Amino acid sequence: MFRAIRTRLAVLYAGLFAVALGLVALTLYFVVHATVERQVRSELVASATVFDRLWKARSHELGNAAAVLSRDFGFRAAVATGDRRTAESALDNLRARLGIDVAFIVGVDGKVTGLADPKLSGDAARLWPALDQGETRGVATLGGVPRQLVAAPVMAPALTGWVVFASNLDQRQMHALENLSAIPIEASVLPASRVEDPAVRGGAPGRVTTPEGPAVALARPLPSLGGGEGAVLLLRYPVARAMAAYLPLQLAMALTGLVGLILLIAASWRLSLTITRPISALDEAARRMEQGETVAVAVATDDEIGRLARSFNAMAAGIAERERRISQLAFNDSLTGLPNRAFFRRHLDIELAQAAHRRRTLVLLSLDLDNFKAVNDTLGHPTGDALLCAVGARLKAGVGEALVARLGGDEFTIVAAAEAADAGRMAQRLLAALSEPVEVDGQVLDVAASIGVAIAPQDGADSDTLLKNADLALYQAKEAGRGTYRFFEARMNAEAQARRTLETDLRRALAAGELELHYQPLIALGTGRIASFEALLRWNHPTRGLVSPLEFIPVAEETGLIVPIGEWVVQEACRAARAWPEEVRVAVNVSSVQFRRGGLGATILQALAASGLEPRRLEVEITESLFLETSDTTLATLHSLREMGVKIALDDFGTGYSSLSYLQSFPFDKIKIDRSFVERLDGGPGAGAIVQAIIALAAALGMETTAEGIETEAQRAAVQRLGCTLGQGFLFSRPVHAAAALALLGAGQRESRAA
Amino acid sequence: MLACASPAFAAEVSVEVRTQSGAPVRDAVVSLYPGGRPAPLPAGRRSYEIAQRNIQFSPFVQVVPVGSIVAFPNFDAVRHHVYSFSAAKRFELKLYAKEQNRTVLFDRPGAVPLGCNIHDNMSAFIKVTDTAFSAKTDANGRVSFAGVPPGMTVARVWHPYLRAPGNEVELRWTFGAGRAAEQVRVALRPPPPRAAAY
Repeated sequence: MFRAIRTRLAVLYAGLFAVALGLVALTLYFVVHATVERQVRSELVASATVFDRLWKARSHELGNAAAVLSRDFGFRAAVATGDRRTAESALDNLRARLGIDVAFIVGVDGKVTGLADPKLSGDAARLWPALDQGETRGVATLGGVPRQLVAAPVMAPALTGWVVFASNLDQRQMHALENLSAIPIEASVLPASRVEDPAVRGGAPGRVTTPEGPAVALARPLPSLGGGEGAVLLLRYPVARAMAAYLPLQLAMALTGLVGLILLIAASWRLSLTITRPISALDEAARRMEQGETVAVAVATDDEIGRLARSFNAMAAGIAERERRISQLAFNDSLTGLPNRAFFRRHLDIELAQAAHRRRTLVLLSLDLDNFKAVNDTLGHPTGDALLCAVGARLKAGVGEALVARLGGDEFTIVAAAEAADAGRMAQRLLAALSEPVEVDGQVLDVAASIGVAIAPQDGADSDTLLKNADLALYQAKEAGRGTYRFFEARMNAEAQARRTLETDLRRALAAGELELHYQPLIALGTGRIASFEALLRWNHPTRGLVSPLEFIPVAEETGLIVPIGEWVVQEACRAARAWPEEVRVAVNVSSVQFRRGGLGATILQALAASGLEPRRLEVEITESLFLETSDTTLATLHSLREMGVKIALDDFGTGYSSLSYLQSFPFDKIKIDRSFVERLDGGPGAGAIVQAIIALAAALGMETTAEGIETEAQRAAVQRLGCTLGQGFLFSRPVHAAAALALLGAGQRESRAA
Repeated sequence: MLACASPAFAAEVSVEVRTQSGAPVRDAVVSLYPGGRPAPLPAGRRSYEIAQRNIQFSPFVQVVPVGSIVAFPNFDAVRHHVYSFSAAKRFELKLYAKEQNRTVLFDRPGAVPLGCNIHDNMSAFIKVTDTAFSAKTDANGRVSFAGVPPGMTVARVWHPYLRAPGNEVELRWTFGAGRAAEQVRVALRPPPPRAAAY
């Protein structure tokens, strides 16, 4: 109900004051009421006493008049002799003289004479027994009206009757009584039967209810003459009239209370405002702070609230400072000071939304340094870091308004609100800027980068798609020979999609048993017998059929799937070789990734142990590319394998970045001459010379040689003539299943034996 | 005893008047009417006296036969003004002094209340009777009659304060020869206030 503090305070104070005031007013009312009632009661008793005295005085007056008349000799003579006219005239004379209301004579025989109003004669005649009993004073009802009666016997000389004087107890008489009272009472004389209220019958003042409201009343029974229905003097004082005197006091009280209440409400409202206004300000400030605004409240006072405001300001400043530092940490790359990936993602989302809103295009450049890893590896990380900082600075200088962020490693990205045409120019400008040599720690480094460009909205309306497509374009740029840039094309996306599908399928393939090994024999050219088998991986895809290793091996290498697959290959090959004659070896291809990811040595050891194959019967074939990124651990692994007895062969020798220095860097057991040389043996003497040279070199280094891809008898004869020890190719056998390989062994060995 | 007729057979009658509470009533006048008729009065005038002494009449009640003359001698040093407005005799003896005597003839039966216009306290009654058997009770409330003829007799009992019309009650008795005793119970009013204590 009262949610605001100031309302609660105001209501509380006003309520307390009202209650206190109400109690005072109530007490005052009761005290006044009790006082007034007590006063009225005592006044009524006093008035009753006054009335008694008035009554007696009146009685006395009437009695004197009656006595005077009853003793008048002439009157007595008239009454006694039955001279009615004389008697009546005398009566009337005195009545008029003294202002008596009613006068008459009751004869000793009960006859009533001298009554002016004949209607009263019945009531008058009924007085006789009482008069006869000697009663002379009291109230009797004549004509339905209670009257004060005084009788005097007429002795003539014996009792001949009574002179009776009656005085009306009417309003006039009562007014006289009322005027004598200190308070304006209402007096009336009523027949006793009409005063029924028991509260006043006891003779003490009591409460009665009248048509005009409650009243304090006192009933005083009056002596009756003739024993008829008695009469009662009823003195009344309406409470309302008694209280009327105090009405101004009550009004003043009420007015004072009302004014006080208004003042109090106003004052407490003001007071609570001074308390709650700063609290409201704090409340508002806290709300704004919650919404992320930087706030400070004015410190107006030095009291608790002032201190609270000061503390609040300190707290708000602290929070703002921490927030700034956290956001700096969260959104900036600590190395280059450029915005980081998180900030970039946020920024990109915002920019995309704005671009969409304004129907403008947005350019996203994804930039990657070429051969940064070589710098890191050869010159050390501090130099690499310094190079990254330098590149960051150049990029920042080169893009102007656009945002440059470092996503990690040597990946940078630039977001600019620009047209597609500008994007190409920007990419060129950046590449040009980076092509200038960079001096780091006194060394001059040549830097090159590749850039992928994606343009929103056509290349992606959301940041994920746009970024992915820029990366695809970057990948294309790298493929295209580095140091250049490529725009994203939808085709790239399709290729990427196919690769992703392939990857998913490949993950499943190993567990589903879709992979299998085929074996191609290597023939000792001298004897024609099978010297070993090269284990070749085949993927029997459930829907696509056989998938070329050329297609899935790169994917396996990129995703790291090559590690579990390679593990399986070694184990499977070793297991198969156990079934072969002891002199027949098995060769497995090992990818550079397997070396890089580590654990290859352990994997091979495990496979040998599990199959029980002698290490000397296992050949590991590696390619020259391994040496492009070779490291000490790779060489150590190779050495340890070789020390165990495992043979190490260099595959596809003569292609790619072949370098004779590789032959020197590791003591290979065998060199496999690439099929391209063997193919060309038919063509001319050049190829033969190279093959001859390789064989001679290998022989000099104590290495065996294998000619790959022998398809014709001429090729076989040629390589044999040149001194090659082993041959491999369709001429001898295609790669076959393990069972077929076993059969081949049986047949081949028999055949050679037979030869 | 006004009459002493002595027929051959006569009764001696004793009457006792008492209040309802049994107190004897003095100064009650009992009158007998044998056969309902007044007993003839003896011939000749008789004189009676009601004195004024010590500002009071004396006696309080005086029974007189019709035709009697009553004297009102004043023995007081003050003057008196004796009067009566009674139906039986209306008279007024205006201011007369000591040793002055006034007489009044009472020629009709009835009760005559006497008052003094000067002294309200003075009160006396003359009972003028027309029958020979008429007398007032003594302090014991008793009165006796001799020679009352036997048979039915109407008796009237009067007293100044008797509570009855004319201050009188009427009874019927039947006597034989010899003694008879009757008792009458009457109600009395209190004496009227004398001292004018109004």
